Amino acid sequence: MTFEQHGENRFIVPIGPQHPALKEPGHFEFVVDGEIVTGASVRLGYVHRGIEKGAEDRTWTQNLYLMERICGICSHIHATAFVQGVEKLAGVEAPPRARAIREIFAELERIHSHMLWLGVAAHEGGFDALFMYSWRDREVVMDMLEMLSGNRVHYSANLIGGVKYDVTPDMMDKIRDGLNYLEERLVHYLDVVNNDETFIGRTRGIGTMTREQAQLLGAVGPTARASNFAYDVRVDAPYAAYTEFPVEMVVAEEGDLHARFVVRILETMESIRVLRRIFDNMPESELVTRVPRRIPAGETISRVEAPRGELFYFISSGGGEKPERVKVRTPSLCNWGTVITLAVGHKLADMPMILAGIDPCFSCNDRLVMVKRNHHDPQLWTWADLRNYGIEYYR
Amino acid sequence: MGLEVSKPWQQVLDKIRTWARVNSPWAIHFNSGSCNGCDIEILATLTPRYDVERFGIKLQGSPRHADVLICTGPVSLQAKDRLLRIYWQMPEPKFVIAVGSCGLSGGVFHGCYNIVHGIDEVLPVDVFVPGCPPRPEGIIYGVAVLLEALKSGKRPERTMTVEVPAELGVPKVEVSQ
Amino acid sequence: MSSLEEILTSAEKLLHPYALNFNRPEANRLDVYLARENLLPAVKAMVDARWGYLSTITGVDRPASAGEEGQPAEQGEIEVLYSFCAGAAIVTLRVRVPYTDAVLPSICPLIPSATLGERELMEMFGVKVEGTPDTSRLILADSWPEGVYPLRKSFVPAARFSGKAEGG
Ligand code: SF4
Repeated sequence: MTFEQHGENRFIVPIGPQHPALKEPGHFEFVVDGEIVTGASVRLGYVHRGIEKGAEDRTWTQNLYLMERICGICSHIHATAFVQGVEKLAGVEAPPRARAIREIFAELERIHSHMLWLGVAAHEGGFDALFMYSWRDREVVMDMLEMLSGNRVHYSANLIGGVKYDVTPDMMDKIRDGLNYLEERLVHYLDVVNNDETFIGRTRGIGTMTREQAQLLGAVGPTARASNFAYDVRVDAPYAAYTEFPVEMVVAEEGDLHARFVVRILETMESIRVLRRIFDNMPESELVTRVPRRIPAGETISRVEAPRGELFYFISSGGGEKPERVKVRTPSLCNWGTVITLAVGHKLADMPMILAGIDPCFSCNDRLVMVKRNHHDPQLWTWADLRNYGIEYYR
Repeated sequence: MGLEVSKPWQQVLDKIRTWARVNSPWAIHFNSGSCNGCDIEILATLTPRYDVERFGIKLQGSPRHADVLICTGPVSLQAKDRLLRIYWQMPEPKFVIAVGSCGLSGGVFHGCYNIVHGIDEVLPVDVFVPGCPPRPEGIIYGVAVLLEALKSGKRPERTMTVEVPAELGVPKVEVSQ
Repeated sequence: MSSLEEILTSAEKLLHPYALNFNRPEANRLDVYLARENLLPAVKAMVDARWGYLSTITGVDRPASAGEEGQPAEQGEIEVLYSFCAGAAIVTLRVRVPYTDAVLPSICPLIPSATLGERELMEMFGVKVEGTPDTSRLILADSWPEGVYPLRKSFVPAARFSGKAEGG
């Protein structure tokens, strides 16, 4: 890009756009001065598929499946945001039991997503044991989701007007057992995160973001809440069954990477608690209401709290069988902006952790070219090299 | 690769190579615009429940060390060049496993404007693993099928040749050991 | 915390000097129609009063329609929605710009995080956002042809792109 403009000792380090571990490949370029990052930029679009346009040629029901596949990690919540918007336009409300079941799926998904993140973030920090442990325990949640819906990743639990699957008392008992086990493990992870010295060394005071910054940069979800920006759609604008079964908002003051770990783990525990409450007071009703095939003309906005933060859907109907416009604003998009700012002033070795810290649907790397200003001898670095560099640096 | 040896020796060397490859294939994973569903399942195969490493399969970060490209997603236009570049960087012989319905045909994204509709439009694919997403067992089975084929010497037929466009800026250097 | 109604009324008061029109499509939503010149002052008023935060920028294509009986045919327009959220309340600033003069001022000096949204607007709808700090491609492929804006209604995706053709 613009390396000519920089001084003698500055390098540009492009990272991206693909990584063995993750999702949404983004391409970053960090300008480094010696060891310190002095600038950053992002290029998205490696996974841009044209879904918003695609949505305009699909019927409402077909779109349900398309929306679900925007992201494989938060698939249920995308579908929930979409159906809730459509239900609002159609002027119907899902029955209470259906709404409770949506919440059950959403919270299970949050648990699976946060555990996945915990593992991946630990992996980026060179803590592979935690990665393996948390992914092993995550399989417990995957089993629950599979038991409920028959699929591990895209559960397709939502229908316009309700849900497809019931949760029987038998299933609830099984899930309760699993949750007990998970809770125990989470207490252990919290202990590791708070007390392991190497871990603290890599996370405390790294990538700190103040409340003002969080607000200005438009951070959302756990990233914002770790900076004491108390904002959670589940609490502020309850949807599904969150009025009947509210969650407590988890916030932290510090705003650094460590706080982001703590907030996510505590949030997972909160999800477990709320699941238990739902199981104890499961409302009785049918699972679906009838919805007309043509959705009345109108516009609506539907917001939900995805595991990564506020998810925003704008849906506009022209009164036909297909939507006129669907706009999806995913939480990661907001958080990208924070990385660009947070990176500045930190060591290159911290970049993998900072990137992972926002839990981006991110994927970076594979090849990372280090370009020296004067001699154009690109040196190839893989993401793994950068990671190792980070690990070595802190050894 | 470069080494001139007599025919019987070549055969022995080939045997050893096949043996090594079949017993410990190194794989690289690339997401060409998928929804992550398949990617997290591929990652799950590494973790203790499924643990592919016991079959000697190792997920590798660098294409230069990989034998197998495990690819997901419908190939977005922006990722296409990257995909080709990675494929190009892998040493011969190389194999491609396409994972997930959208990597097979575009799947649920069929008709979207920014995708190429399937990995086989861009690369010769050896094994297709359908499912949206396939279970980790399915993915492991896909790899096992490939290894079986290699062991019996029946390498899946190559149906296309891949030209790396010059504008990718890949330096034209011979890959050497 | 003050009630939903109070929050929305406060926004209405803030924006009163600039708005062409107000609308309350749902209990928690306030739509504010603005002329292009008033966009910056209106956003500034919101930011200065610390009213919520900018959630997203949405573009909507409003192609030319034949017009209702007796009314002149409309000109094709892009409508841009700036959605601000505070708790459950959502205020949407709506600005329309015609195809022939699709230019908007950037709000980045007021809200830096708007840059991603504005770049998206430029790529997907061909709205020129004046003064946005970075105008390089964000979402579309490098090989995507200039001047083709996929989210305009006039863009019809070809049924299938060939892998070999560049950019389709
Ligand atoms: S096949 Fe399905 S799960 Fe896999 S990447 Fe494609 S849409 Fe996602």
